[in-house]
Amino acid sequence: MPLTKFANLDFDQIKTSIKDYLRANSNFTDFDFEGSNFSVLIDTLAYNTYISAFNTNMVANESFLDSATLRENVVSLARNIGYLPRSRRASKTTVSFDVPFTGESGSLTLKAGLLCVGAYDNTSYMFSIPSDVTTTAPLVNSAGDTNGARIAKFTDIEVFQGTYLTKQFVVDGSLDQRFILNNPHIDTATLKVRIKGPSDSGIGREYTAVSNILNIDSTSEIYLLQEVQDEKYEVLFGDGIFGKKLENDTIITCSYIVTDGPDGNGPSEFDLSANLRSATDTPVIPTSTVSVVSARNAQGGAEVESLESVKYYAPRLYSSQYRAVTARDYEAIISTIYPDTESVSVVGGEELDPPEFGNVIISIKPKNGSFVSEFNKQTILSKLKQYSLAGINQKIVDLKVLFVEVTTFVYYNSSKVTSAETLEKNVSDAITEYAGSLDLNQFGGRFKYSKLLGVIDGVSDAITSNITRVVIRRDLRAQLNRTAQYELCYGNGFRVIISGPPSGRNIKSTGFKILGEAETVYFTDVPNNDMATGVISIVRQVNDEVLVIKKDAGTIDYTKGEVLINSVTITETEKPDGVIEVQAVPLSNDIIGLKDIYLSFDVGNSSINMVKDTISSGDQISGVGFQVTPNYVDGKLTR
Amino acid sequence: MATKRVSKAFKDISLSMKPHPVTKDLQVLKNENAIRRAVRNLVETIPTERFFNPDLGSDVRGLLFDFVDFGTATTIETQIYETVYGFEPRVDNVKVFVEPRPDQNEFEVTIQFDIVGQAVTAQEFTFILEATR
Repeated sequence: MPLTKFANLDFDQIKTSIKDYLRANSNFTDFDFEGSNFSVLIDTLAYNTYISAFNTNMVANESFLDSATLRENVVSLARNIGYLPRSRRASKTTVSFDVPFTGESGSLTLKAGLLCVGAYDNTSYMFSIPSDVTTTAPLVNSAGDTNGARIAKFTDIEVFQGTYLTKQFVVDGSLDQRFILNNPHIDTATLKVRIKGPSDSGIGREYTAVSNILNIDSTSEIYLLQEVQDEKYEVLFGDGIFGKKLENDTIITCSYIVTDGPDGNGPSEFDLSANLRSATDTPVIPTSTVSVVSARNAQGGAEVESLESVKYYAPRLYSSQYRAVTARDYEAIISTIYPDTESVSVVGGEELDPPEFGNVIISIKPKNGSFVSEFNKQTILSKLKQYSLAGINQKIVDLKVLFVEVTTFVYYNSSKVTSAETLEKNVSDAITEYAGSLDLNQFGGRFKYSKLLGVIDGVSDAITSNITRVVIRRDLRAQLNRTAQYELCYGNGFRVIISGPPSGRNIKSTGFKILGEAETVYFTDVPNNDMATGVISIVRQVNDEVLVIKKDAGTIDYTKGEVLINSVTITETEKPDGVIEVQAVPLSNDIIGLKDIYLSFDVGNSSINMVKDTISSGDQISGVGFQVTPNYVDGKLTR
Repeated sequence: MATKRVSKAFKDISLSMKPHPVTKDLQVLKNENAIRRAVRNLVETIPTERFFNPDLGSDVRGLLFDFVDFGTATTIETQIYETVYGFEPRVDNVKVFVEPRPDQNEFEVTIQFDIVGQAVTAQEFTFILEATR
């Protein structure tokens, strides 16, 4: 029997093939017995074959972007289509401070490097600047001694979390010379490359980074960057055709910041620790303590781009050809220029109601938090301009988060559990795991009701059934003490509650106060006769009585799932940050994230109630005394 | 072409790899010699040593570093017995005797067994187990 089973790749299959072959072609017989000498030889042969097959399989896998697993290979394959994976990013902020000192120097320079130290979560983080910053230092008393007291004002200095480092290379003209920056964790956005030719003086000319060779000629002072082994970077220079070629003995100085990435997010208070120099490059010591003021918390720090991200975005960025045309293009490009992106929704203005032709509406869900700061929005928009089509305006709007909350009543057989608390915790863990799934937490996500019921039922054999109610919630951010109109889009139809008593009460809110009313008030709804629209009222509860404070406070469209609040002056809210939580009962228990609505399962506001199943437990097998849970929400006025 | 009949006798290769003095062919072990060699291989194989068969073998080597007394001897006996019974289907009526020799820091092992389906007398072989390091 010939050895023809080439598809056998497992050790056992290979060994069986060899034995089958020997059984038909050999004088030996003992290979079937594990203790025999022949068995040892067969094992060795099969193992060798197995390793060869495994290696061949790995080589094939590592040759394609989709199946490669080693970072070095994924990065190399992405490089073939012109994609440079994003490096680790330093968190950054802007700081301002005044430095008082005495001396003749009319200017003061902050040298590149450590500038201040910030603390967060009991850890200190160094913040540095990648290049020198100089400002004027006028005399405090302009008519006084030129050697007198001066103040240098530094305003909005952008600082990056991490350590500033420099590395020098001397070009030796050899073909195999490589310029590799040996530190991992470099933020390549802070990299500055200066080239000093053999006949140049000074610190050299700064070269610019490019990602492709468009508009590059033989004199362009450019460099390219590529990731090599172990998340390190290699700097590449021109060859005299595309980009200026470096002469022998040229000195290359690379300066960059090595960062802790996302760990550096958070500090807002800083102590100055800068290297201050006068106009004559002598050290300057401030005459009093310098107070550093930061515009906001340090943010934007991110890990190096993950392999999944590289595999996902490299082909998309290639297909976008660095031009933002389709929604997918925006998705690929925004995640490149704003690494903190978790999910992006892009909606063409023509799809809006009413249409906004020529506009592209972008919502970004950052990895940490729900909102992109104004500063980051401006940065993203300005960077997007170089990719976008002329005549198209981009608008970044705040995320519209639609929260899904559930109240579940879990019936359990008490004879199958040791404690209801443990079971409740297991249910909670299962719900939390489901909440983190990819069905939700994204634009275009969908909350699948039956899946959740299945998840709860599947936690334990002891669970006999569950009754789960779903409500959807949006947070209204009130403009305190300002008259304003508000619009809340849920993207999902509301159930019209007509059976009473009382009818309406689909919309429930947390408390707030309005101008001219001292007590806490709430939103509620009353359906019109068409059962498709209704009126939003502002009401107050006095004991069991409902007092209407403002009858026509707004309108509600049950079909579209929209709440419009007319002009109102809100002065205070129960929840912090001017938030009023407004909930509604959806028409369907499956909730979708429509257009720019980001769907999020709010486990924190969901509740789990354990109910003993008296029938299954054997306490009351006739069903008498069984605790029945209604499927519908209660008639309470408030949340 | 006539079908070549293969004998039911046991035939194994010799790992000494020395050529036969006359035929210059690779030496073979037959019948009881092959089985004795197999039993010895099993006893001397350390569990996890064989690829993808971690249970095969006995931990006799590890036990050699214990005290040379009757307690250890009994454990070695059990280990060898279970290994031979578990992995060598060609033998039956296995008896294992292990005698400790504390003065020489070694155990004398005697294994007796019958070969299944072969008209040969009961087999016995003896070897010395000694910690060499």
